[in-house]
Amino acid sequence: MFQLSLAIIVRRLAAAIPTLVLLSLVVFVVLRLLPVDPLAALLPPSATAEDARALRAQLGFDQPIPMQFLIWLWEAVRGNLGNSINFHQPVTSLIGAAMPATIELALVALAIALAISVPGGALAFVLHQRARETAADLTVTLLQSIPSFLWALLLIIVFGVLWPVLPFSGRVGQEVVLPGITGFALIDLLITGRLRDWSSALSHLLLPALSLALSFSPMVIRVLRSGLIDAAGEPYVEVARLRGLSETRILWRHMLKNAVLPTITMIGVQFGFLFSGALLVEMIFGFPGVGNLMVQAVKGNDMPLIQGIALLFCVLMLAINTVVDVLYALLNPRLRAP
Amino acid sequence: MSKTLWTNQAELTVEAALAGEPQDSLRRRLLLGAIGAGLGSLLPWEIASAQALDKGTLTIAYPVDMPTWDPCAVSIPALQSVYQTVFDSPLRYSPSLKLQPRQIKEWKWADNKATRLEITLRDDILFHDGSRMTMEDVKYSLSDRPKADKKLLIGNMMSFLADVEVHSATKGVMVFNRSTPTAPIYLAFLAAYIVPKAYMSQVGGDGFIAKPIGAGPYRLVEHQRGSRVVLEAFDKYWGGAPAIKQVIFEIVPEPAARVALVESGRAGLAVQLPLREVQRLSTKPGIATKVYPYSEIYFLRIPSYVKPFDNEHVRAALHLAIDKAALSKAFYGGVAKPLSVMATEGTPSYVPEFKFPFDKARAVAELKAAGYSATNPVAITFLSTNGTFASDFDMARAIVQMWKAVGINATIEETTPAKFTEAAQSGKLTGLLLQSWANGTGDPENYVGKILDPRLRFAAWKDMALAPRIDALVTEVDEAKRIAGWKAMNVESAEKSWAIPLMQAVTTAAYSANLQPTLFDNGYVLPVEYKYK
Repeated sequence: MFQLSLAIIVRRLAAAIPTLVLLSLVVFVVLRLLPVDPLAALLPPSATAEDARALRAQLGFDQPIPMQFLIWLWEAVRGNLGNSINFHQPVTSLIGAAMPATIELALVALAIALAISVPGGALAFVLHQRARETAADLTVTLLQSIPSFLWALLLIIVFGVLWPVLPFSGRVGQEVVLPGITGFALIDLLITGRLRDWSSALSHLLLPALSLALSFSPMVIRVLRSGLIDAAGEPYVEVARLRGLSETRILWRHMLKNAVLPTITMIGVQFGFLFSGALLVEMIFGFPGVGNLMVQAVKGNDMPLIQGIALLFCVLMLAINTVVDVLYALLNPRLRAP
Repeated sequence: MSKTLWTNQAELTVEAALAGEPQDSLRRRLLLGAIGAGLGSLLPWEIASAQALDKGTLTIAYPVDMPTWDPCAVSIPALQSVYQTVFDSPLRYSPSLKLQPRQIKEWKWADNKATRLEITLRDDILFHDGSRMTMEDVKYSLSDRPKADKKLLIGNMMSFLADVEVHSATKGVMVFNRSTPTAPIYLAFLAAYIVPKAYMSQVGGDGFIAKPIGAGPYRLVEHQRGSRVVLEAFDKYWGGAPAIKQVIFEIVPEPAARVALVESGRAGLAVQLPLREVQRLSTKPGIATKVYPYSEIYFLRIPSYVKPFDNEHVRAALHLAIDKAALSKAFYGGVAKPLSVMATEGTPSYVPEFKFPFDKARAVAELKAAGYSATNPVAITFLSTNGTFASDFDMARAIVQMWKAVGINATIEETTPAKFTEAAQSGKLTGLLLQSWANGTGDPENYVGKILDPRLRFAAWKDMALAPRIDALVTEVDEAKRIAGWKAMNVESAEKSWAIPLMQAVTTAAYSANLQPTLFDNGYVLPVEYKYK
């Protein structure tokens, strides 16, 4: 088992290096070819073209694109992604500070999505070929057609304004100062024993995470339902029934285990969806994560920062795919066979 | 097949509960119960925090985050409110845009060429670390630092400052290498902030950005990037401790979320809200609203090097065909004042007696003079941002319809500030551009003087003959002559449509009815001037 997991990780890592270099090259070239001025926000109204040229040279934007890329790549290999044009800080520091918030948000969103979609998928399966199946299908389609940022606004109106029970701005309450140990608010506040502040952090996570989860869940529901329908026709289900097991037990103990394999693959593939959804959701909720940072970087044409975040997203996706492969191998006995 | 599997939903629920081992079931129930209790326990606190009004704290829903805490490094107008709150400023404009003393209590020219500005600093200014601000800090911030680091925008804002002579702890002379009669206005404008020399030297630039120290009415307690800025009143502020002890700028770029924050009582003040939302909020009890024009203007920038904009008749037709009052009424509730010149009412170079008409018949005649007609319409490209300022793209579309009515076929191309800056700098603007222009000073040098200066990197009207005229006005030491000169250029620019002024911009605010905010004509949000009733 361990050897198989290790083999998958090594194989993935080997494939990751050329992928990362290629993606970096594409992002780098595309950003440089855009007809925008990265210094637009940096120079005052009184700046002359000469001032702009001097600043461009100072920041290295006057070099040919291949040279700029090679310099960037060399520095990136050494862990230096350059300095943000707008924030005047190292890109790695900015991303490092924002990343835990986004990971935390994505994981809580995933947990909520699973809490919604596993029972939801089972219910959709139960309603299969029944009178209420159309209504269930329509509901799932409706949920799927609402993007996360719209969920965000709807949830703010409902739980922030009409029935103001949940906060919708920031990562923690105004009175809370995060200890900054791991960067993960829920972990840091828990290990420092600040339970009241921990609940503040959790309550601040709920609406943004729910916004992401509500637009993520329908996909999981659909795949899980299909998986359960396929599993229902398998011989082991009939065997279980003949053994006198209840239908509920057959579903939760036997069918779900098999139906969950394609679902895990889909979650892995679509996990990037949570990160891309976080771009707008974080901005709407004033949540200080990478999505928010990316929006600010794009607004300010902050090329080093955009490049750094794009690279980070690529690394994340590769890591998620590796985790999914390992999980798949662990859950699928056929892959474990010698 | 699933029909045989399930009888009803009740069976699912009951069987699911009973399916596992008894111990599993118990554990599951305990876990669920604990999660439920945990979540439930969160709610009362949040309800309480949403409803309570703490008069010691003001939360401001603000659209822009602080990219850096070095106030001398950037010249972004939207950041100046927070910078002024933390760092104060050497001089400051009053709510009605009159230049007033602040950290510098007196200033006067020591010569008649406006090259030596004598300044006297207050003797009671303390930085947040308790150290006293002296003329050495002024010299360091305005002269020495920008000379050493060319990336600091303050150097660009005060490019003609040669040195600051220190005569005592509170007295000094700013020495310019050419006549700079408008130097004082730049002491109340972008990037001109005094930072503590000793602290900056001790911690370095990065250290300062990580933990900035200013001399303003509030000190920085915490900055969660992309989320909030927490400020605390500085009780040793030279102007006295602020009435509101804690100010929190919640960074909320999304206008709908800012509206929700003030509507739910979680923010005491929200700014730059959509007009229709402000109108809706004005009917809510406990919320006061304000829609007011300020010193920003909307105008059309015209590239002189693109045909047919080089034709004076075409430009006149473009200008004459725009019903500015109708645009204001349609998109800004009639609050945005239509402009005939590139200056707002009440500022020095405003020309009240000059009115550029809306005249469709004359527009048609001008087009005819240029050789165009209904059968031979002129085609142009019209660049507009979408969402950079309120209703920008909608206004562009309305203008296109107005032009169509006189025989001008305009095609709108969406753009961004970075795109059009790049295009302008490389001389590749494809059409005229709808733009907003911020000027926190109200001085003509920063309106028409900058908009028409052909040497600046975003210039579109590249008439080099204007350069010496602008230089002459920028260095004119006779204030009456200076203003008269700018007024004349303003009128000439409108008559010849080198640029087309549209209207004064409006800004909006909604706030708790218990709050008494002082609203500034330059749009600044300065909580030191606020108090609760």
